[in-house]
Amino acid sequence: MELNAGTAGTGSHKTASERDEVAALESLQFTDEIRRLMSAPATDNASSFTALLELPAPQAVQLIHSPDSAKLIAAPAPAPNVDEFKGSFNFPFNSGLIERATRFSLFAGDGSINDNNKSNSPEPTSYNSSANLQKPVKSEPAETESYQPLVSDPTVENRSTKRKDREKVKGSTKKSKTGAKDSSDDAEKLPYVHVRARRGQATDSHSLAERARREKINARMKLLQELVPGCSKISGTALVLDEIINHVQSLQRQVEFLSMRLAAVNPRIDFNLDSVFTAESGSLMDSNFSGMVMPMMLPEVQLNGNRQQYPQQLHFDAFQQPVWGTEEVCNNYITPENSLLSYDSSGNSASLHSNQLKMEL
Amino acid sequence: MNKYNPPRMNPSSLRSRFATRFLRSLSKINAKKPTASSSSPTEIFRRYRRIKVAADKSMAYSVRSRRTWSRAMLWKLRTRPCCRRSVKTSTIVRKTRHEKQNKNTTTTTGEDGVVFGVEADELRELVPGGEAMDLYNLLDETAHYIKCLTTQVQVMKKIADFYSP
Repeated sequence: MELNAGTAGTGSHKTASERDEVAALESLQFTDEIRRLMSAPATDNASSFTALLELPAPQAVQLIHSPDSAKLIAAPAPAPNVDEFKGSFNFPFNSGLIERATRFSLFAGDGSINDNNKSNSPEPTSYNSSANLQKPVKSEPAETESYQPLVSDPTVENRSTKRKDREKVKGSTKKSKTGAKDSSDDAEKLPYVHVRARRGQATDSHSLAERARREKINARMKLLQELVPGCSKISGTALVLDEIINHVQSLQRQVEFLSMRLAAVNPRIDFNLDSVFTAESGSLMDSNFSGMVMPMMLPEVQLNGNRQQYPQQLHFDAFQQPVWGTEEVCNNYITPENSLLSYDSSGNSASLHSNQLKMEL
Repeated sequence: MNKYNPPRMNPSSLRSRFATRFLRSLSKINAKKPTASSSSPTEIFRRYRRIKVAADKSMAYSVRSRRTWSRAMLWKLRTRPCCRRSVKTSTIVRKTRHEKQNKNTTTTTGEDGVVFGVEADELRELVPGGEAMDLYNLLDETAHYIKCLTTQVQVMKKIADFYSP
C-alpha cells in the first residue's frame, strides 16, 4: 500500500486505497507512539532542553527543508509498522506523513500541501514555513503539536526533522482541513461536523470533550506561565510544569526559612498588635519586594546572627533591601529612632517598634 | 513632620487578612514562651514548628474554604496533632475514600494523564489537596496556591526584616 505512496510521493497522486490503509493503521498507533516517544525524552535533562529551545524553529525548519524535498521524491517503501518508526526515523515514515497529509488535503484542495512543500523547500527563508507551522500550532494547541517543538530538539536531528516535518505537514493539513471542516478519520466525512477536528482523533463526544478540556488546560498553563517568573519563554508544557513545581517548592522552602527566622528573632520582641497591624498594612503597600526570591543560605546566616546578636541595635531599613548578614553595615544606618531603640530589653522595644512602624507610614 | 500617607491597601485583601492573622498568632506564640529557655535550639525549633503551622493556618483561614487547597490544608492542620485532639474518624474515612475515587478518575483522563504524568503527580504532592483533583482543577489550585504563597512569603519577609537587624 505504501509502496505506491512512496514512489508517487512527488506529486499529488495519492490513491484512496493507500489513504484508507494508512489512516486506519497509523492514525491509531501513530499518535500513541508519538506521545510515548514524546514523553520519554521529555523526562530527560531539562537543561539541555532550554538551551536547545532557543533555536528550534529556524534550525529545525531548515533541517526540514533540505531533506524534505529529497525525502518526498526519493522515498522508498514506507513501512506502516510502528516499530520502524521507533527504531529509525528514516524516509519511509516521512513520505507516509506526507501521504497522510495529502490525504486530508484532498478534501480541501490538492495543491495546498504540495504547494506548501514545494514552496518551502526551495525557499531559503525558513520563516514562512515556520509561520505556517506556528500559526496552526498556536491556534490549535493540541498537545501533540505543542510537544513537537519541545521534544524534537534534544533528540537526534533526524527525529527532529521527522517531527517537524510531520508537524509542518500537520499544520498545513490543518489549515486545509479547517476549510473543509472535515473529520480527521478518513471514514467519517460528515459535512456537518462543526468542531474542528484534530489530526488522528475521532470526533465522537468523548474526544470532543477531551479536546475542549485540553484547551482549557492549556489556557491554564498559560496563566501559570505568567504567574511563575521566567516561565514565559519556556515552550512546552512539561518544562513549564517543571518550572512551576520548582517555583512552588522554592516558595514553600522560603516560608519555612522565614518561619525559622521568625522563631529565632522573636524571643526578644513582644508584639504590639494594634500599631503593628496598622503599620504592616500600610508598609506592605509601599515596600518594594524586589528581593522576593531569597537565596536559601542567607536566612540561615541571618538566623545565626540573630541568635548571637540579641543586644544588637535594631536596624530599620525597611525602605531599602535588607543587607544580609552584614550587621556592621547595618549599624551605619542608624536613624534617630533606632538610636532610641536599645536593645536587649524587650519591654521597650515593643512600643518603640510601633513608633517606628508609624514613622514608616 | 511631613504627613506621609501611603496609599491604603484594601483591608480585605488576602495580604492584609493574612498579615493580621499571622501577627495575631505570632503574638500568641510569643506570649506563651518562657524567656528562660528561649534561645535553646530545641525551643527555637519548637517555636519554628508552631510559627510554620501558624503561617499555614492563617493563610488557609484567610482563604477560607473557597479553595480546595485551603480546605485540604485546614483539614490537615486539624488532624495533625491527632494525638491531642479527637478527630472524627468518619470524616477521615470519607475523605480518603473520596480521594481514592477521584484518584481513579484522574488516572484515566486519557491523553492528559499520559502527557502530564510525572509532573502532575509531583504537583499533586506539593499542592495540598491535590491528590483528589483532575488536571484542570489542579492547575487552577496551583495558580491560586502560588499567589497565596507569594503573599505569605512577602508578609513574613516583611515581618522578619522588621523585627530583625
